[in-house]
Amino acid sequence: MESERSPKFLSPLLLFLILSFLLALASASLASHGRALLQWKASLQSHGSLASWSLDASPCNWTGITCNVTRRGRRVIREINLAQTGLVGTLNALNFSSLSSLISLNLTFNKFYGSIPPTIAALSKLTSLDLCTNNFTGIIPRQISSLTKLNSLNLSDNQISGSIPPWLSNMTRLNFLYLFGTNLSGSIPEELGRLENLLELVISDNQLTGSIPPTLRNLSRLQVLECTNNEISGFIPPELGNLVNLVILDMGNNSLSGFIPPSLGNSTKLGGLGLWGNHLSGSIPPKIGNLVELTFLSLEQNNLTGSIPTSLGNLTKLENLYLSKNQISGPIPQDIQYLVSLRGLEIGINLLDGSIPASIGNLTKLNILYFFQNQISGSIPPSFGSLTNLIRLCIFDNQLSGSLPQEFNNITNLKSLDLADNNFSGHLPHDICKGGVLAHLILNNNHFEGPIPRSLRMCTSLTRARLEQNQLSGDISENLGAYPQLWYIDLSFNRLSGKLSPSWGGCHNLTLLKISSNKVTGIIPSELGKLAQLHVLDLSSNYLSGEIPKKLSKLTNLFNLSLSNNLLVGEVYPEFGELLNLQILDLSTNRLRGRVPEQLGNCMNIRSLKLGSNHLNGSIPFQIGNLVNLVDFLDLSHNSFTGEIPSQFGKLDKLQNLNLSHNELIGRVPHSLSDMISLTSIDLSYNELEGPLPESRIFQNASLEWFIHDKGLCGVVKGLPSCSSFTTSEDDSKKNHELLLLITIPSLGILFLLFLFVVFGFIRKNSSLCYLLRLVKVSFSKVY
Amino acid sequence: MAVAPGVAARTLALAVAIGLLASLAASNSEGDALFALRRSLSDADNVLESWDPTLVNPCTWFHITCNQDNRVTRVDLGNSNLSGHLVPELGKLEHLQYLELYKNNIQGTIPAELGNLKSLISLDLYNNNVSGTIPPTLGELKSLVFLRLNDNKLTGPIPRELVGISSLKVVDVSRNNLCGTIPTSGPFEHIPLNNFEHNPRLEGPELQGLATYDTNC
Repeated sequence: MESERSPKFLSPLLLFLILSFLLALASASLASHGRALLQWKASLQSHGSLASWSLDASPCNWTGITCNVTRRGRRVIREINLAQTGLVGTLNALNFSSLSSLISLNLTFNKFYGSIPPTIAALSKLTSLDLCTNNFTGIIPRQISSLTKLNSLNLSDNQISGSIPPWLSNMTRLNFLYLFGTNLSGSIPEELGRLENLLELVISDNQLTGSIPPTLRNLSRLQVLECTNNEISGFIPPELGNLVNLVILDMGNNSLSGFIPPSLGNSTKLGGLGLWGNHLSGSIPPKIGNLVELTFLSLEQNNLTGSIPTSLGNLTKLENLYLSKNQISGPIPQDIQYLVSLRGLEIGINLLDGSIPASIGNLTKLNILYFFQNQISGSIPPSFGSLTNLIRLCIFDNQLSGSLPQEFNNITNLKSLDLADNNFSGHLPHDICKGGVLAHLILNNNHFEGPIPRSLRMCTSLTRARLEQNQLSGDISENLGAYPQLWYIDLSFNRLSGKLSPSWGGCHNLTLLKISSNKVTGIIPSELGKLAQLHVLDLSSNYLSGEIPKKLSKLTNLFNLSLSNNLLVGEVYPEFGELLNLQILDLSTNRLRGRVPEQLGNCMNIRSLKLGSNHLNGSIPFQIGNLVNLVDFLDLSHNSFTGEIPSQFGKLDKLQNLNLSHNELIGRVPHSLSDMISLTSIDLSYNELEGPLPESRIFQNASLEWFIHDKGLCGVVKGLPSCSSFTTSEDDSKKNHELLLLITIPSLGILFLLFLFVVFGFIRKNSSLCYLLRLVKVSFSKVY
Repeated sequence: MAVAPGVAARTLALAVAIGLLASLAASNSEGDALFALRRSLSDADNVLESWDPTLVNPCTWFHITCNQDNRVTRVDLGNSNLSGHLVPELGKLEHLQYLELYKNNIQGTIPAELGNLKSLISLDLYNNNVSGTIPPTLGELKSLVFLRLNDNKLTGPIPRELVGISSLKVVDVSRNNLCGTIPTSGPFEHIPLNNFEHNPRLEGPELQGLATYDTNC
């Protein structure tokens, strides 16, 4: 009957005792969790953000620690989240068995290294393990397969090596498996097909090889399959079409071959399909048109042939369509007009033909339209004007023709317009830069005519302009202005007239300015000397007059200065010797006068120097011989140079072409020219040169016309007289001297003797003189 | 069946990744080869700044010259304060006639792939820090006229394969560390001996009739 009394009396006490015991137990186990964590913290090299981890507080209040209460009322650590806490160290000192209550462990974005310890298997309740973005190495330990409750495993962005373990297939609760960006190799194990609960499989950015196992068809819940940037080969298994829940399929940048299986059209929930950068062949299966949820489709950079199926017109949600870099033929289908969500259409580098369908104007959301490098013909339809959201239009290298429609002026948001290498004609749109954002204007190699549009003058957004090889005309002094961001402009081979405006000096970033082969008149403005970034200046073949501004010598970055074929007067100033980066200098065919400054010899990087066809005079400065990097041309022809060829030219041992013809050079060809071992042509004709040519191979193999119309060259060249028929060689003149001495001295001797004879005769008075006179008379009478 | 939280983000990531690929779609293989060279070189003076791989071809890059078909015919980078290494991709420039890389600080070896440059007329690597051997594949350069490798740290023999290049006019390998003998046949009949000097281990002209391979080299 005591038992009847005890429940009333003892139960609260017992309850109290049990509870406090349990509490003690609880705090004891929590304390042991804490101690294990503190031991681990102590092993880390860097744990600055874990300052709150100390015995002063309960572990549940520590950073990154989340606790909850078990069914039995105990407080336990459930989640550890130390993402991006700046930790450096290993997991070796972590006593996993004391953390067996853990459900979630997140250590992403730290600098943990070493291998994943097998003892991690003690975390038997773990559902989420995230070690992404650390420096873990070694293989995935087999013990992980004991974590049978795991539904999310992320080991990505580490240096974990080895292959994807087949035993992962035991972890059938896995929903998310992320193993991207680590050093995994080997093939995808077919056992992965057993992970029936898998929702996302991401194994991109590894070195996986082998083929895609057809068993993956069993992953019936799969929504995301990504294996880009690997070396996966073989065919795309048609079985992948069974994955009806797939939303993203990306297998880009692998070595997949064979056809695109039409069965992929069965995955009608697909939002993104990427098969780019493989070796896929055959044509695009029309069944792809069933994937009506697609927003992104990339098949670019494969070997696809055939035409673009019209069924693609069903993909009304498509925002990005990339088919570039294939061998797709046929026309752009009319049905493209139905892709009303399209923002980016890239079908360049293919074999597309036919013309641009007018219906393309329906794609009013289009930002990017690329169909360059195809065989598309016809003209741009007026409906293009509806594409008011176009930012980049690149249709270069086709057979497009006709004029640009007036409606083109409506496309004011263009940043990049490339119509080059077509047969376009007519005028440029007058509002071409109306929106003020045009940066790239590439129109070269067409038949555009008329003036450069006035709106281009105010187009301060311009960075790169190529208008060369057209028939543009009009006055450039008006329609071109100062472009602060322009770094490249080529207007060559047009019919532009007018003068170069000084405002060109405002293009501070200009690296290349080419306006060659036009009808530009007036002077070269000295403001061009302000273009400190200028590397190339080509104004050749125009009607420029006046002098070359001395200020151009300030352009220290200039490596190519071409002003040939103009009407330039004045001199080549010594200041041009300051252009130390100059590699090509062409001032030929102008009216330059005066001497070539010796300072040009300082431009040690010159590889081609052309000053021919001017009125230059004086002697050639020997300092030109210092330009030892002259390789291509040294052309001083058709001037009035006098004096001798400098013997220092012998130092130009890399020069291939020397032309000194049509001058007034005198004297002998220096023997040192035989050191110019790289010469393939040397023209000395039409000068006053004389004497023997050097006997090196270039002269032995030279053609006669290089030496005609000189004063008297002789030597090894076929057709020239040989030098022994002239006594003009140095040896001959020595011989002459010797001969002269041989004659003179004895003659003098005889004369002297005669003189003495006469003198003595005189002293002996007249007798011998009479005798001499009689001798002379007798000999005379004998002769006559 | 809820779509996992990451899917929308993933689609975006996919689109961005492809977008990046697409912006490079305009480049061609010669541009890629030259850009590989750019990545391999250190460019203290920014002479390669204009080498933009997103352009359709490299023909508007500074120091590159192309022919009418937009194929690279000249690379003119002499005396440009470059260091780093050459790359095998240079061998893809089938129409290249002039490869001018002299007077820089280029290290490493001469890629054997340069032997693929069928149209090469001039190969100027002189005054650099190039090491290793002269690849025998240079014997395949049947249009070569100028071969200037002097003032480097080249070792090994002068490959006999060069004797087969009848167009060779100028060969200069002086101031290296070459060994073996100097070829004397074919184009080498006319190459003066001082273009081989300052190679302390070079033994002199080969003796005809004896073994033509170089021992101890």
